[in-house]
Amino acid sequence: MPSPLPETDSASHLDLIVEMTGDFAHSHDVEATLRLGLERIAERVGAEAASLFLTDEETGELVCRANMGPVDVIGLRLPPGTGIVGRTVDLGVPQLVKDTRRDPDFAGAVDAATGFETRSILCAPMAVRGRRLGAIELFNKKGGTSFSLTDSRLLQALAASSALALINAMLVADMAEQQGLKRELELASEIQRAMLPGPQPDQSPIHGINLPARGVSGDFFEILPLSGGRLAFAVGDVSGKGMNASLLMTKTASLFRCLAKREDGPGRILAAIDSELHETRLAGMFVTMAAGVLDPASGKVVLANAGHEPPLLFRDGVFTPIEGDMPPLGIAPELFEGGCPETEIELDGGTLYLFTDGLTEARVAGGDMLGPEGARRMIRDAAALPAGERLEAVVRSLDDTGSLRDDVTLMVIEDRRPAGFERRYPARPEELAAIRAAVGRTVRALGCGETMAGDMVLAVDEACQNIIRHAYKGEAGDIVLRLDRENDRLVIRLMDFAPAVDVAKIQPRPLDELRPGGLGTHLMRSIMDHVDFLAPPAGIGNLLQMVKRIDPT
Amino acid sequence: MKIETRPAGTATILVLSGEVDLRHSPNLRKALMELMLEKRAVAVDLSGVEYIDSSGIAGLVEAYQMARKNGTRFVLAAISDPVRRVLQLARLDRVFTIADTVETALEG
Repeated sequence: MPSPLPETDSASHLDLIVEMTGDFAHSHDVEATLRLGLERIAERVGAEAASLFLTDEETGELVCRANMGPVDVIGLRLPPGTGIVGRTVDLGVPQLVKDTRRDPDFAGAVDAATGFETRSILCAPMAVRGRRLGAIELFNKKGGTSFSLTDSRLLQALAASSALALINAMLVADMAEQQGLKRELELASEIQRAMLPGPQPDQSPIHGINLPARGVSGDFFEILPLSGGRLAFAVGDVSGKGMNASLLMTKTASLFRCLAKREDGPGRILAAIDSELHETRLAGMFVTMAAGVLDPASGKVVLANAGHEPPLLFRDGVFTPIEGDMPPLGIAPELFEGGCPETEIELDGGTLYLFTDGLTEARVAGGDMLGPEGARRMIRDAAALPAGERLEAVVRSLDDTGSLRDDVTLMVIEDRRPAGFERRYPARPEELAAIRAAVGRTVRALGCGETMAGDMVLAVDEACQNIIRHAYKGEAGDIVLRLDRENDRLVIRLMDFAPAVDVAKIQPRPLDELRPGGLGTHLMRSIMDHVDFLAPPAGIGNLLQMVKRIDPT
Repeated sequence: MKIETRPAGTATILVLSGEVDLRHSPNLRKALMELMLEKRAVAVDLSGVEYIDSSGIAGLVEAYQMARKNGTRFVLAAISDPVRRVLQLARLDRVFTIADTVETALEG
């Protein structure tokens, strides 16, 4: 049973432990703190010299990291198990050597090299929960005597608390390193997000959104203007997660941007990207990608798909997947040699959705996957919102479920051609200016060139005059004007609520008969391809339909 | 629509501008008929006409017929593109006497 330390010593030793622990807690410089601690210990125990050795975790060597005394041995490396310090570390208990000449483990090499004469050694291990960090070694008790058992117990206590402090300092350093890594990841994520297209203007026919599940994303989307008002677009998903995936994503997105302007059509773009990816050996990584080109003027989309989730065409309340049978990019170059097959889609008032599997594989409440049906339901539920807000609503509702495991990217391509125009006007000459303005505006938006637009304004004006003069005969009433683009033709319909007119009475006059009347009907017939009175639906007096093939020049 | 008249020697120049549609064409017809009663040569400056419909053209046709009956000169001058287009569609571009400018309209 070791004898207890004298009361006063015990209290001041405790002070030393407290001080050293405080030093470790406040300092970021572990080396400096170790040196200061070692000096305090050497002074307290009364040693001529002291060294602190730490185990090199890779080699098992003992490396002198702090030193006090006449000889500087910092950086000295001892093979595992060498000397008294090696024995201390191996055995895990303090070693008291009162006379080094009698201890066969004492390595005299340092003394021989430095001229220092080691008479006695006290060495205590630094270990925490079985982890051997190193040891503190004291040399030559001052005053010529040897170290005592009391010294040994004191050093044991100080070495143990130093070890604990050291472990804490190392943990703090690890944390700081992880924080640094985290900041780097955040920065990478920020750069990546900056590369994706920002929010598109409201009137854009294409909108996209990306929500990374963790720091950096393997998903991407692109929207690029091409010549003639066309837009190139793409949604892609790189296999794997994290930094590697995001670097490959960055490369693929850059390739798309370069190639989209150069290659004719999405099939060639995907084939060219595939070829480029093979040049850079991907080590098992691949990219699924759907790309296309939209011509907003015709509502036509050309689509190509390399192993990606089939895009969904949503029209008249029905979803139609646009299937493709090509593999992802970066796997089978021979399959892309002849290009990637393209599919032509007429939006025809419908909407095309492209997305990554992060959408369909998102977990919903209860832990089930959202699935294709769930994704369709979400899109349908948000259908009334403008495109940009619609995407946000879908993605937000996924995020709300709180279990986003994968990046989510969603893109919408809309048919933004102006929908048909329909409006009711009082049948009065004073309204004609407003009708003409509306017709001019609408038919230009529907694709008519300037000459044709002027003619359409005249034809509608003349038809309205006929209704005012011949159908209502000056009585009050309404005119309903409807303008539609049906494929390459402009269809104008005028409805009134007057008694049915005798069509024969408003036939055009013979051209050689020079008189003021009947000119309006003649103008309508010379301008339009077809002018016909149709059988009016119930409640309508007369229905006049005028059709003209659209001339965009 | 705006109508202005000014004398030019023994003739009268009627300057028509703006949009000539069913709402305004009765005023044009009235102005033309009054001029026809004076039995003087008339040139109609159409350079400022942005739009004209069949009712406006009808007023010009009626004036033209009266001038022919009276044996007086009736010339359309400096016709704007919208007017030219309607005259073409109505095949009236070869019926009216059309002068490039108001100045040349009353010569000869």
